[in-house]
Amino acid sequence: MNGDTLIKKNRAFFSNILKKLLIFLSVFGPATITAMADNDAGGVATYSIAGSKLGYPILFPLLLITILLGITQEMGIRLTVITRKGLADLIREKFGVKVAMFMFASLLIANMGTIITELSAVKTTSAMLNLPGIPFVLVIVLVSFWFITKGNYKLTEKIMLISCLFFLTYIFSAFKARPDWGLALSNLAYPHGVAVTPDYLKDYLIIGMGVLGTTITPWGQFFISSFAFDKKIEKGKVNFSQMEAYWGAFLTDFFSFFMIVATAATLFVRGIPLVSGEQAALAIKPFAGELAGSLFAVGILNAGFMGLVIVSLTTAYAFAEFFGLSGSLNDSFRKSKTFYILYLLQLAVATVIILFPGVSLFKLAVTTQVINAIALPLVFYFLIKLTNSKELMGEFANTSFQKNFAIVCTVVIMIASAFTMVAVVLNL
Amino acid sequence: MAFLSEYIGKPVVDLDGQRIGVVKDLIARNWEKFPHPVIEALLVQHKGGELILPLTDVAAFIAPAIALKHRTEQVKPFSPQDEDIYLVRDVLDKQIIDKDGARVVRVNDLELVRVNGTYLVSNVDVGGMGILRRIGMAGFAQNLAGVLHVKVPKNYISWDNMEILRYDQSMRLKVPVDMLSELHPADLAEIVSDLNSLQTSNFLDSLDMERLADTLEEVEPEFQARLLEGMSDEKVADVLEEMEPDEATDLLAELPKERSEGLLAMMEADDAKGIRKLLAYPEESAGGIMTTEYVSVRPDLTAEQAIQVLRENGPEAETIFYVYVTDEANHLVGVFSLSNLIFAQPETLVSDFTVKRIVSVHPLDEQDEVAQVIAKYDLLAVPVVDEENYLHGIVTADDALDKIIPTAWKKRLPRFYR
Repeated sequence: MNGDTLIKKNRAFFSNILKKLLIFLSVFGPATITAMADNDAGGVATYSIAGSKLGYPILFPLLLITILLGITQEMGIRLTVITRKGLADLIREKFGVKVAMFMFASLLIANMGTIITELSAVKTTSAMLNLPGIPFVLVIVLVSFWFITKGNYKLTEKIMLISCLFFLTYIFSAFKARPDWGLALSNLAYPHGVAVTPDYLKDYLIIGMGVLGTTITPWGQFFISSFAFDKKIEKGKVNFSQMEAYWGAFLTDFFSFFMIVATAATLFVRGIPLVSGEQAALAIKPFAGELAGSLFAVGILNAGFMGLVIVSLTTAYAFAEFFGLSGSLNDSFRKSKTFYILYLLQLAVATVIILFPGVSLFKLAVTTQVINAIALPLVFYFLIKLTNSKELMGEFANTSFQKNFAIVCTVVIMIASAFTMVAVVLNL
Repeated sequence: MAFLSEYIGKPVVDLDGQRIGVVKDLIARNWEKFPHPVIEALLVQHKGGELILPLTDVAAFIAPAIALKHRTEQVKPFSPQDEDIYLVRDVLDKQIIDKDGARVVRVNDLELVRVNGTYLVSNVDVGGMGILRRIGMAGFAQNLAGVLHVKVPKNYISWDNMEILRYDQSMRLKVPVDMLSELHPADLAEIVSDLNSLQTSNFLDSLDMERLADTLEEVEPEFQARLLEGMSDEKVADVLEEMEPDEATDLLAELPKERSEGLLAMMEADDAKGIRKLLAYPEESAGGIMTTEYVSVRPDLTAEQAIQVLRENGPEAETIFYVYVTDEANHLVGVFSLSNLIFAQPETLVSDFTVKRIVSVHPLDEQDEVAQVIAKYDLLAVPVVDEENYLHGIVTADDALDKIIPTAWKKRLPRFYR
């Protein structure tokens, strides 16, 4: 083989790679954003508590969570790209109006609870950063409403992707906490390095389930589908979207890893428990430094922002799909009025609720978790049933391996979800 | 008025009241050139599987349980065609999109209407009531609205405003969103004619001239004209000859002038002459609705001779219950009834039992005046005479009332069907 053909071959190889990369970038967005939003304010809080209370061993379930998240997100995005319909669309069309009404009602209530959690996290952490809480919340709500209505799909996607970059703050905080990296990494493979007591085991089980329960949510399944629908990804690029689903799941837990490490290396090793997740930013300051603490706070703030935009959008998208109204970020306010008003209305109600200090966030979290735990098995039932359908999915229908694996994953998630519900209700 | 959602899950029983299963879907078919699908069959779910039954085998469709005319084993299963629409599978809960592909709303329910024993899909219910009906809350909502004195908003879109592309795709609107309309009850009358024309055009082709003429006489003139649009002029001319002159005149009056002139030219001279005469009168006058086919006799005939005349001319005449007595110049002298004639001795002169005081109308009298005269004197027919007492024709009671009643009846028509 002479040098010339080798160069040509190399060129062909690289231009092929480049082409594939460009296609990948063209579908890039929905899965990554959904997965990252799963680490919303509630998610960060759960991971922080997990890290501070259980230390490095709680890193072990991350691998399982990544797989479960990847599998479920992949089904959602594949369903939408192939059928060119959202999950809510298909639920209404295949399971009827009664089911649609029930799913929408539970999604609306649970999402309201989640949005309130996000907003209150924004309020609390902005106070830590010496920002006026309530005005800051109002500004964030209005700014989000402005870019959602005035902008288009692309702008919202860009803002959300930029928002994803803020998750890098957790990496910085983790490094500043000077953790035992060897112990952290080895705990990914098998949990070790702590004195196992019955109490520790109990907490490990409950919090471990909680971590899974807050990462995989009904709204996440609806959102990835609606957002991919709004992006209008072509059928032929489905394998790139599937890749993105796994990539998004990996990225999410990559950052979760650093959240846990940051709190484990500072709070757990010193035996300082966290009462609430938002306190993590404040609590790690004495050990990781002022900057690390502030960055952690910025991270939570950003997670809250991302969460409130995406969860509120999920309800609006689902409403449009369930009842067949026009609802796209690319539409003008006039055309998709109901969609945009529903988006704003949820945020407005949530803002009013957090203005009252008397509202028990704990009870809210309980309600939210209970509804999510009830809705989640149903969502997966629909998702698996729809992706199994040859009539709907053609050659992209689940293989029997995919189907059985998805069922096993669902059962695991259901158990986790139910467990979390019981734990939250009993305030364990 | 009924809704698709009300049929789903309804029990189906056979002639003996034996339960067959429950309704799972309704199968409708699109007739060519007809904008609303017609329900043809029921998809029945039973223990062993599914069964498709033709609607023609159903004795009672609007009932708590759908009853069949036959026993289960006698029912011939319906074989659906590829283009048939399964209303639940293909339409219910479907997304409706506009011409640009943007979502507009979903199909919450379908309104079904009964027209002449045929069931068709009239409107698509896209409103909240449709959803409430589906989840079994419609009654509650109606009561609540009644208590609160608010009107429950209806939100219907006429089926012919949209098209169904493929069963797994959205339904697309054919008109812009701001021009969507509901199929109004008043439009139903038109649908009746549309549907009839579809079902009858094949049927008319199969009839001989005489039967065709009889059939045409039974339908509204506007509708007659539409039926004749597709027929050749030769055939129409033949049919017109067979029809009663007054009916034929009405029909010709509905056709474009050029065509009616052409048709008259093609008809036999005798028939054409009578019609031409009738055509000269305003359509809604005594002259316009009268017929020239009556029986007349001279006053100097005997009863026996008069009966002979009746035997000869009677079959052609529109009525034989009244026999008119005229002079040589066809001036009206009097009238006698069939019973007068029969009870008279055979050799009695007609003039002996002729009634000379006659109620008559003028050719230019309004048709409702004619109807009033007939009603007032309780007549079967009234003669039409001019100032010189020349007998132009007669108006029979059914023709006179026919001209009055339809307008009143038409206004009420839609309510019958709802």
